[in-house]
Amino acid sequence: MDTNHYTIVARDISKSFGRTRLLRNINVALKTGESLAVTGPNGSGKSTLLMILAGLQKPNRGSVTHASSSEVWRDEWPIHIGYTGPLVTPYEELTAVENIMFAGIGTAAGSRMDALLERFMLADHRDKKTKHYSSGMKQRLKIILSVINDPPILILDEPGTNLDADGKRILRSYLDSVRPGKIIIIATNDPGEEALCGGGIRLG
Amino acid sequence: MIRGKKPCAAEASDLVRDIIRNLQKDFRVEFRSRFALNVSVAFAVITTVALSLAAGGVPFTPRVQSMLLWLIIFFSAMNGLSHIFVREEDQGTSLFLRISVSADSIFASKLIYNLVFMVLVLSVITPLFMFFMQVTVRDVAYFTGSVAGGGLSIAAATTIMAAMVAKAGGKGSLFTILSFPVLLPVLWLSILATASSFEPSGHTDYGTLVFLLAFSGFITAISFLLFRYVWQD
Repeated sequence: MDTNHYTIVARDISKSFGRTRLLRNINVALKTGESLAVTGPNGSGKSTLLMILAGLQKPNRGSVTHASSSEVWRDEWPIHIGYTGPLVTPYEELTAVENIMFAGIGTAAGSRMDALLERFMLADHRDKKTKHYSSGMKQRLKIILSVINDPPILILDEPGTNLDADGKRILRSYLDSVRPGKIIIIATNDPGEEALCGGGIRLG
Repeated sequence: MIRGKKPCAAEASDLVRDIIRNLQKDFRVEFRSRFALNVSVAFAVITTVALSLAAGGVPFTPRVQSMLLWLIIFFSAMNGLSHIFVREEDQGTSLFLRISVSADSIFASKLIYNLVFMVLVLSVITPLFMFFMQVTVRDVAYFTGSVAGGGLSIAAATTIMAAMVAKAGGKGSLFTILSFPVLLPVLWLSILATASSFEPSGHTDYGTLVFLLAFSGFITAISFLLFRYVWQD
């Protein structure tokens, strides 16, 4: 696990789409070991806020700063952030292993892969093309893809979607186990996932 | 603590690593579906055979032969060259791609993929066309240069166009229409150069081939600089 300390600070984030103002003056400040649940009704801007925090979308106003106690090259920031959400889709023509090897960087990812496949109960389906996966299995794979590089910042948009009771239990136990060494931000309306986080923002 | 830009050597090493990862993925996905290649080759075979039957053994002039060859190359390639980016949008994998590898490596790997695709398409179309249309090449080196140069220019120019069309939510037809004016000078010169290699007393101007190479280099450089704005915004 990464022993460096990371921070993510978002100041006065505002985002509009046309005339619809989705986010207004959102402030977030988290450091390693802290977690945040973003809740709110559908269309309230949870996914947009998470994409902004992950650096995948630009806000109309405000800024997001990621920082580390160790030196990190500017170009390397994306691999320090693990993101998954409804719009992240693995390649259907590839197997779970091939998708993970594509997302994973270096030999460490290869060695983490077996443990993660085992933990998320996909080991028996590792060589199956993901087009033959159920929606719950795809969701488990998406979570593995987001954590394969052991990122210190984990941003998960509705991670419990399509998961059965076992899947949700595995996800909660995984997040609980890695929480001390990471910043975790979850967009959710699941009270169980919300309870995992130390703080929360309600949108809408 | 955030440091500025990585040293060039480390950056190049990361770029090469990402290009290889992305190329492996693209070839694996394409090999399993073979959609783009099958469509392009089928188009080339059907068009060439149809032309040959329509001609009924009557020989065309070198200029007409060259025009027909480049028409088939253009439309066969258009069926497949956009696929590499449009597929990412259609299948919803573009966000996964974006968070997995850098924009520079995506462009470089897609360009390499399109170049390989173009080589495959040309290596099927050219001998097929020469066989069915009974074409005699007078200057093989110049002919090879004109086909390779034209193919390279088409692949280089269409890679960035494919990214733009995919991001605009467009499909193949939009891609062909948008690419045509950009590729017009390339097609024009390629037709002239290929026709010269067919003519018994054809004047082989190697400046044309140099122009095609320069066009490819220029458009690749500009595309490489602009791609991250197309891809990320």
